[in-house]
Amino acid sequence: MPGSSLNRQPYQTVIKPYGRALVDLARERPEILCLTGDLTRQTEVDLFQEEIPGRFIHCGMAEANMISMAGALARRGFLPFVHTFGVFATRRPLDQIINSVAYPRLPVRIVGFMPGVSSPGGPSHQAIDDVALMRAIPNMTVVDVADATQVRAAVPAIADVPGPVYLRLKRGEIPVMFAPDHEFSLTRAQLLSEGGDVALIASGMMLIAAVSAAGALGAAGVGVSVLNVPVIKPLDTATVTRVVRGAAAVITAENHSVIGGLGSAVAETIAEAGLGRPLRRIGLRDTFAEGARTAPFLFRKYGLGTQDIVDCAWDLLHRDGPPPLVPAIEAAEGEYAPV
Amino acid sequence: MTAMDARAAARYADVIRLRAVRMVAPHGFGYLGQALSSAELFAVLYAGHYDPGRDSLVVSPGHYIIAAFAAAPEAGLLDEESLASYGLDDSALEAIGTERSPAVDLTGGSLGMGLSGAVGLALADRLQERPAARVFALVSDGELEEGQVWEAAMFAAHHRLGSLTVLLDANDSQVDGPVSSITTLEPIAAKWESFGWAAFDVDGHDTVALDAALRAAVADPRPAVVIGRTSTRHGLSVLPEGADGHFIKLPADLAEAAVKELEARLAR
Repeated sequence: MPGSSLNRQPYQTVIKPYGRALVDLARERPEILCLTGDLTRQTEVDLFQEEIPGRFIHCGMAEANMISMAGALARRGFLPFVHTFGVFATRRPLDQIINSVAYPRLPVRIVGFMPGVSSPGGPSHQAIDDVALMRAIPNMTVVDVADATQVRAAVPAIADVPGPVYLRLKRGEIPVMFAPDHEFSLTRAQLLSEGGDVALIASGMMLIAAVSAAGALGAAGVGVSVLNVPVIKPLDTATVTRVVRGAAAVITAENHSVIGGLGSAVAETIAEAGLGRPLRRIGLRDTFAEGARTAPFLFRKYGLGTQDIVDCAWDLLHRDGPPPLVPAIEAAEGEYAPV
Repeated sequence: MTAMDARAAARYADVIRLRAVRMVAPHGFGYLGQALSSAELFAVLYAGHYDPGRDSLVVSPGHYIIAAFAAAPEAGLLDEESLASYGLDDSALEAIGTERSPAVDLTGGSLGMGLSGAVGLALADRLQERPAARVFALVSDGELEEGQVWEAAMFAAHHRLGSLTVLLDANDSQVDGPVSSITTLEPIAAKWESFGWAAFDVDGHDTVALDAALRAAVADPRPAVVIGRTSTRHGLSVLPEGADGHFIKLPADLAEAAVKELEARLAR
């Protein structure tokens, strides 16, 4: 398939692809401003602060003011990129996002790091509802990227979206799953493999798990389509409908609550298209995620592992016998393998 | 401002009141109290300080947009005839300010956000090198209950945004009653001063005092607040003592009496 070749697991990782991509873009675009809510290094914009200090604005721990101010700056022709963790970017200043940014349809880019249970920092730090909150807001575009290649492509791609954008990013070491030929699109979901039994529709960190699950299922004789959906809103409903039509069953996978995010968006699309396909949603099942020292523990505890996708597909397709086991992949220092 | 100009500003304030009464009258109720309390604030600002071609105007509480509309014709920002569509179906002049509201740079109905917007505009003026541009923001005392106002106040002082002036309408009125009966805001001036602002606390219906305070606020290198002590019934003696300042009932007979009172005063 064009523009979709994948690297081999375990994936190499890179550090701060977002921070680098933003600086590179800002050098070409003088209207870009970088705002941060007391999480400069954690959101990779220490690079911006060092290299373009005149357009870097410390806002402190004051997210409401930061968002409303960003809206006003956008009214004057600036392109503000606002940075904090996803929880603080969306929950606390929700009314400000709606009234100061989304209703006036201003080009503010809200960049929320540490999606879902990728943070072992407890429920206060886990953005498990950010996609649902942002998706419900008129004029908002919602992007949940899967790897460093997508990060590098998404930053310039979102620059010219006329309204606001919420960009959801893993922090720290970012795996490189897509080869450099990857074609990132804000309008088209991308089919990574084709098969008629089950369609795996995934976004963000769960795309890598979906690709791994497809490998294990394919080896066990299951025909799997994997659909890469980095843009949850506006959803490419035409491609989703086409892929769902070609499969006997559908599984969505998201590092987020199953309420209001990708799974909900796909369910709405399937229902509105009148397609009677059984659907399962992998994600947090209406719960907060507690008790972690490490993120992989949380992915396993709350059913967001590769094996969970495999087991779900096996059950959904009524296959006999035990589901295939996902081979464990050893990831050395600087490498990444999905849970 | 000379004594003559002060009289003209006081007259301008009554013009704002008369227009506001006429805008609210067809509905029988509305945000008349906000116009009555802020009439001199708008009149003095528009008559002597605000240049729409150079400056920005933020009306933080969208309920006050009636006063901005009523003041706008003299500043060339709105045709007087269009005021008749205030609050009607499909009118751009919605009763609570929206993105479509003419005559202001920024307003909104979710309270406490406007000062952050004004700070953003002042920051934009600095980044885009418009040293003469000023940002005026009307803020209400009830809004001081919102934490975001103080986030914005801290940011403005830290970044020394001296081009920013807040006109604070301290009318002691919010939905549930007098602000002072619900949350103690005092000492208001000392709060702003402790946040690094210059504060000027004056009678908000005294056009001479307001003019002097605005002059001092603009001259001060710090962001500055002019606290106008006002009443939601000021300038309209026909209103009953207990009139709800947030949302005044204005039946036809009362509206007629109000128009008569204001027209008589303007005829003098």
